[in-house]
Amino acid sequence: MDVLTVKNLSVSFFRPEGEIEALKNVSFTLQEGEILAVMGKTGCGKSVLCKSILKLLPDIAKIKTGHVYIRGEEITGYSEKQMQGLRGRFFSMVFQNPMTALNPCMSVGEQIGEMVRLRHPELSGRERKMRVAELMELVGLDHAGERAGQYPFQLSGGMAQRCVIAIALAAEPAVLFADEATTALDVTVQAQILELLLKLRERAGMSIVLVTHNPGVAARMADRVALMRDGELYRIGDVEEIFEESTPN
Amino acid sequence: MWRKFLRNRHLIKMVNNIGKFLISVFVLSVLVFTLSRLAPGDPLYAYYGERVEKMSVEEQDQARERLGLHAPLFTQYVRWLQRAVHGDFGISYQYKTDVKEVIAAGIGNTLLLGGLGFVLIFALALFLGLFCAWREDRLADRIVCRIGTVTSCIPEFWLSLLLLLIFSVWLDWLPSSGAYAAGGGSLSDRAVHLILPLSVVVLGHLWYYAFQVRNRLLEEVRADYVLLARMKGLSGRQVLYRHCLRGALPSYLSMMAIALPHILGGTYVVETVFSYPGIGKLAYESARYQDYNLLMVVSLLTGTLVILCNLTAQLVNERIDPRMGVRSASAGGEVRRL
Repeated sequence: MDVLTVKNLSVSFFRPEGEIEALKNVSFTLQEGEILAVMGKTGCGKSVLCKSILKLLPDIAKIKTGHVYIRGEEITGYSEKQMQGLRGRFFSMVFQNPMTALNPCMSVGEQIGEMVRLRHPELSGRERKMRVAELMELVGLDHAGERAGQYPFQLSGGMAQRCVIAIALAAEPAVLFADEATTALDVTVQAQILELLLKLRERAGMSIVLVTHNPGVAARMADRVALMRDGELYRIGDVEEIFEESTPN
Repeated sequence: MWRKFLRNRHLIKMVNNIGKFLISVFVLSVLVFTLSRLAPGDPLYAYYGERVEKMSVEEQDQARERLGLHAPLFTQYVRWLQRAVHGDFGISYQYKTDVKEVIAAGIGNTLLLGGLGFVLIFALALFLGLFCAWREDRLADRIVCRIGTVTSCIPEFWLSLLLLLIFSVWLDWLPSSGAYAAGGGSLSDRAVHLILPLSVVVLGHLWYYAFQVRNRLLEEVRADYVLLARMKGLSGRQVLYRHCLRGALPSYLSMMAIALPHILGGTYVVETVFSYPGIGKLAYESARYQDYNLLMVVSLLTGTLVILCNLTAQLVNERIDPRMGVRSASAGGEVRRL
């Protein structure tokens, strides 16, 4: 079943110097448990695509045309309040730079705990702490009790990204957007994080939109690949299909 | 024992802070002592008033000797310091009584005006800053910004005169000067006398700090972590209160500490215009009439307060924003500084 459907989505940024078309008639579907890699050069509209679906674009950006459906229900006209109900429940996101994605003034335990509390307000403080420790262990953060009290600046990039993933998992989302989630990390940590995402997909059965400009990552992780250029999604297909057709420059 | 002491970081920090405080107060005392004596004017006027003009040169010399003003600057300072460490700050030339008594009579009034002003300014600045950041670039934000900019541009002495003209002269609603009516002193009487000076202190400073809070919050609003917070399903207002405010608080507290001399200075101007009997009026008069002993104590008192506030802000900042402090890192207890 299609968990997410995007039809003819066009987004523009209205700046004083004029309109900039960031997305042009983008259409794709995402199936339950599928990993879709969205690839393209920097500035081609990959991140804008994710943020448009989540309605996290700045005020100067407008969705001009198009429709977004989740499990068949259209959410294009959803209000900010309705979108708040979807974010952190149906959708979640992992960002490129974990060091800036985490609030520097809150301990990581507090940040993961906040998501747990929003998702499960019925849990007691003790149960929440236990859930945080559980999530931290799930993403491979050892000494969870001790780590929970630490602040982002006390963690390495890899550990911080694991915390961001733990926050994303605490939301128990149906769709996870990983916006260049491994770009800011070194190769070894990159591999560990990708492995973790694969493991979590198996375990939680969530669908992942993997934004990357690394063909290696896409080939290793994705079921299908979507290629973007200048705001257009010009090609989408199975990994083998896409990479067999492409010829290296 | 020394090893144990050197290992205790908190103790070292405390000793370090006390050292910094003492050095700062000492430097301040040297500067005020030297500058006040280099300023033009004769302190004998403060003590003897117009009678100085009728005194012969010998009589003036004898008077200076009695007041300890004949010795070289360095000797004068050493004598002053020796007496000061024993709590003797000399007499006020103008009031001809112990400086401590003169200060004691005015400090309560200043603390009331300055303290209330300080609390009101920062409570309102936080509220206005949050409101404007929340309604960024919308009509309400624009209106508040415009009104704030206009009020902050009005000089305090002019605003004081304007309010005096409207509320004391034309409407005759509020008293024009003093801290209480003659023979009065009841709570309501004091409150009524406080309204105008307090309004000037608050209006004169409020927008500057509210605007700083607004801008600092907007910087936080644009930080990457806000996207993650919104991704959790938090509303814009929740993100502002739960996340951004936390990031903006350290600079808000530093601002509060740094603002103290600014607001205190404003209080001093207001005290002078409203003839409000406080430290500000004493500071102005002691500088004007070369009342050295009084000037030294007023300056040191103000300076000490400012230095203490700065040190407190540093400590509070470290508690709120862990990056600012010295903390042991995860594994080996290694020290990180930012």
